[in-house]
Amino acid sequence: MSETETKATDTVRCTIDGREVVVPRGTTILHAAEKVGVKVPHYCYHPGIPSRPAMCRMCLVEVEKMPKLQPACVTPVQDGQVVRTEGANARRMRQAVLEFYLLNHPLDCPVCDQSGECKLQDYVFAEGRKHGRGTEPKRVFGRDDFGGDVLFYGDRCVMCTRCVRFMNEIAEDPRLCVVERGDRSIIDTFFEEGLAGSPWAGNIVDICPVGALVSKDFLHKQRAWDLDHTPSICPNCSQGCNIQLHVRDNAVQRLRPRPNLDVNGYWMCDYGRQRYEWMNSGERIEAAMVRESGRAKAVGWPEALARAAEALRGAAAAGVVALASPFHSNEDLAATAALVGALGGGSLLYRSELAANEVRCPGYPGLARRRELAPNGRGAELLGFRRVGDEHASGDLEELTTHGGVLIVLGDPLLDADASFGTGAQAFLYANPHTSAAARHAHFVLPVTTFAEAEGTFTNFAGRLQRFWPGLAAPGMARPAWQALWAIAAALTGQIAPTTAAEAFRRIGRQVAELEGLTYEQIGPTGAPLPASVSGSVR
Amino acid sequence: MEKVAGTAFLIASSAKVVATFTLVLLSVAYITLLERRLAAFMQDRRGPNRVGPFGLLQPIADGLKNLLKEETSPAAASRFYFFLGPMLSLMPATVIFAVVPFAAPLPTPWGVVDMIVADLPVGILFVLALSSLAVYGIVLGGWASNNKYAFLGALRSSAQMVSYEVALGLSLVAVLMLAGNVTLTEMVWRQQQLDWWFAFPLALAFLLFVISAFAENNRLPFDLPEAESELITGYHTEYSAMKFSMFFIAEYAHLLTNSALMATLFLGGWDIPFWRGDDMFWVGGALVSGFDATGAPLLAEPAWWKTALTLAAFAAKTSFFVFLYIWVRWTLPRFRYDQVMHLGWKVMIPTALAYIMLIGGTILVLDALRTPYGFTYGLVLTAVSLVATGLFVFVLDRDRIIGGADLTRRRSGTEYQRAEMIVASDL
Amino acid sequence: MTRPEPGRASYVRAALKGMALTFRHLVNPHKVTYQYPEERYPLSPRWRGTHRMEVHADGRPKCVACGLCPTVCPANCIRLVGGEDDNGNRYPIVYEIDEFRCIFCGMCQEVCPVEAIHVGQHYENAEYSRDRFVYDLDRLMAQDHPVTHLWDPSDPRTE
Repeated sequence: MSETETKATDTVRCTIDGREVVVPRGTTILHAAEKVGVKVPHYCYHPGIPSRPAMCRMCLVEVEKMPKLQPACVTPVQDGQVVRTEGANARRMRQAVLEFYLLNHPLDCPVCDQSGECKLQDYVFAEGRKHGRGTEPKRVFGRDDFGGDVLFYGDRCVMCTRCVRFMNEIAEDPRLCVVERGDRSIIDTFFEEGLAGSPWAGNIVDICPVGALVSKDFLHKQRAWDLDHTPSICPNCSQGCNIQLHVRDNAVQRLRPRPNLDVNGYWMCDYGRQRYEWMNSGERIEAAMVRESGRAKAVGWPEALARAAEALRGAAAAGVVALASPFHSNEDLAATAALVGALGGGSLLYRSELAANEVRCPGYPGLARRRELAPNGRGAELLGFRRVGDEHASGDLEELTTHGGVLIVLGDPLLDADASFGTGAQAFLYANPHTSAAARHAHFVLPVTTFAEAEGTFTNFAGRLQRFWPGLAAPGMARPAWQALWAIAAALTGQIAPTTAAEAFRRIGRQVAELEGLTYEQIGPTGAPLPASVSGSVR
Repeated sequence: MEKVAGTAFLIASSAKVVATFTLVLLSVAYITLLERRLAAFMQDRRGPNRVGPFGLLQPIADGLKNLLKEETSPAAASRFYFFLGPMLSLMPATVIFAVVPFAAPLPTPWGVVDMIVADLPVGILFVLALSSLAVYGIVLGGWASNNKYAFLGALRSSAQMVSYEVALGLSLVAVLMLAGNVTLTEMVWRQQQLDWWFAFPLALAFLLFVISAFAENNRLPFDLPEAESELITGYHTEYSAMKFSMFFIAEYAHLLTNSALMATLFLGGWDIPFWRGDDMFWVGGALVSGFDATGAPLLAEPAWWKTALTLAAFAAKTSFFVFLYIWVRWTLPRFRYDQVMHLGWKVMIPTALAYIMLIGGTILVLDALRTPYGFTYGLVLTAVSLVATGLFVFVLDRDRIIGGADLTRRRSGTEYQRAEMIVASDL
Repeated sequence: MTRPEPGRASYVRAALKGMALTFRHLVNPHKVTYQYPEERYPLSPRWRGTHRMEVHADGRPKCVACGLCPTVCPANCIRLVGGEDDNGNRYPIVYEIDEFRCIFCGMCQEVCPVEAIHVGQHYENAEYSRDRFVYDLDRLMAQDHPVTHLWDPSDPRTE
């Protein structure tokens, strides 16, 4: 709803810290202030949680003609209102509130995982008192295992109840509550199992503004300020949640959701959150290899590509089969398709795992852990790949095993392949990030990157194109698969291979008419839906 | 008393050769220690004092270290000359000492033994000839190393040697004129007869000789052949272990020999001042201590204690020069190359020439006046020489002997001062 | 710099003056040398030498692996891997300081919230191999030299 469209009566004009702003009627002061770049401190308010208890008292601001300070998160702006967030009273109030929070806070920042991304730390550093005046001993709770991946340090808690409200309103699985009163009040679980089994509980670690709720997996692992944040897409199901890869020492240390109201809101599921170790796997193919008299020999890229093109050209007459993994980007899959096309066409297959059921997020419609446990099955379908195999991503390899022409495998680990896989093929090209026993008969083994090491796009279950960026450095000689496959295809057809991911994406338009003209710029950081004509079944 | 002869002479000479050579090398070793200790004291340090009492075993430790160290030889070096260099350098330095008389003759049951290894009639010429040879070792070593720094050091060394050999020789001419011969033993005798050490009647020659000797010995302020700041260590850059050690020993042996030579030429050798009892010289096969008024020789009375005392006197005088060498080294900074050449060719040689004329003229006048060779003779010469030295040191030395790099600019006066003022005002 | 007027400078007199000076020092019994193994140079209280890790009475390192020292270290010479011990305390599983890379700025000591890592008043660090200069946690805890008193700008006594 932009200002020009709305009627005058639907908008209000107010002044926040001397800056005038026009917002729709009913907007809270906090949102209005955000619009003019004024950040009002807050703990209990979270944009993703509907309820607003206004209980943390951090967002109290001065409103002209109102005798008392008002909580900015729930007070709607009025026409002509003058709000001061930096007034002397507001400042004094925040300082007092912070001192109050620190009465029982253990100040164990050195051992706290939240240190560096902690709102209490930030606010106290910015506006708090230099020294506390409290003389009484602090109350001590110790720590509590909430089950699942969540650990609770009661001493650090500021009682914003974001976690309780998330479980109530978003996960709709009210397992947390506040017990006791006053300074003895504490978050606790109802049942023995605590949060164990809740598919969404990991989010309460993210939304906890302090270090009260921490991840067991991340416990003492890295300091928050050391992590590099790379925008990416969760590769663990076809929902395509927007995430950040938190990287240090060229390894993904944890995944965090990246707000995108069209896909995942502010959340992601624990299933996706916990599956990142494979991105750090050291079992990688690091050099291009060519089979020479029965033995694999490491060669440079130019030689490998030239010889692969030569071999593929010679074997193409006997038919071409390509098996790709939907863990690869649209660019990679399109390059595979282009290569098969350059060889005169053949069958394009993919296999992916299907979960037994969908895990829906009750409080955020549209968010679920989808059945297809690969990020780009939809993209594969769109590019002409045909699903084969069962729901464990296995089976249906008979045709490939006995195939006698060109066999191209991209990214599929081929765990169920028997020892003779590929022996019949005249030219077997295997491109995979990770080492695999099935590559033993491959004539060409190409080291390619995982999604975390390359730029590219995924198409999620609903046909939404979303970009991801490289967060890790590729090991050894590994290059994005589109680069290698396009180079071979280009060598066969005499075309010019794309040199950037953006260019590789634009080439998809040649293969899929619906994507014609789409560019990375149009997709942007939060993705873009495919044209309606291509959106299809939801899996 | 007769001179020793026959078998006794052979035995005595052999003993002297062995004793002198040993003593020289031992002294050299301890001069290195002395140099290091004195240098340290002058810099308020303590110097090597860890090996043995007062660090007295330090030279032995150093020698042992040098023996055990790895002998490196540059790949592109000329092997033969590379080895020959240090040897050629060491040899002359030790041989020169043979012609230096170091004490009064010693009476023994088999005859009187001269306290000199080889009483060569051509004494001083032998010294000049051999000390010039020393530069061959340096030039060969520097050239054979096939290293530009070593080569530059060698070139500088030869240039320096050529320049200062002339001044050295010219300053010696005055000594020869006064001594009337070139035998070192007789020079000692002539100084005893004159009642003046030549350092006084030939003061300016003494000064020029000392300076030239410094230059010839490559000692600071003339150590351009091994100027560390420019040439790493000059001609011995590529040398290590014992070969380096030989260069090192040669340098210090040279230092010792030069000191002994200066003591002999200018400080009366082994003569003990203000005492005629030690005056001894062979005249016509007899050891005389002087002549009476009629010219008849007075026989000398050699004694072992006189030998010992004169040896001590000689040692003291030599030590004084050794100390002077060290003292000057740790006081004066190195000259620039052009300053060295300027001093050698434009100052030392003309001065020495002029001084020869002056002394020659004075001697002519004195002889014409039939002044007897003795105290008065020396007094006149001393007066003349002191005036000449005073002129040289206090009149000539006005930015002319050694000047800074800006000498010419400073001569032009106002322009330089203006430039100086501009800089000062800019600050 | 004051220079003598042109034609006034005398090398001989200057040289004699210099020799008089060196001679005075030669005979002056005052020497500045420290007789090292017996006599040691007194270190400033702010001398910053090789590190030392303080330990609790029960022998545990005081370090809580907060990561501030590797963060502040301008030479990037501290390697730290944190973990949790049996009592639930955060502690350094790996704590290594590369003393060759260290520039001895003392910022690790300054930043340490639990006064665990210190630079020390120590300079006798000779070793027979280079790898011995990567001090691990045990080595740092075993050091027993006095620690450095960092300069507190607000306290003039530490100046």
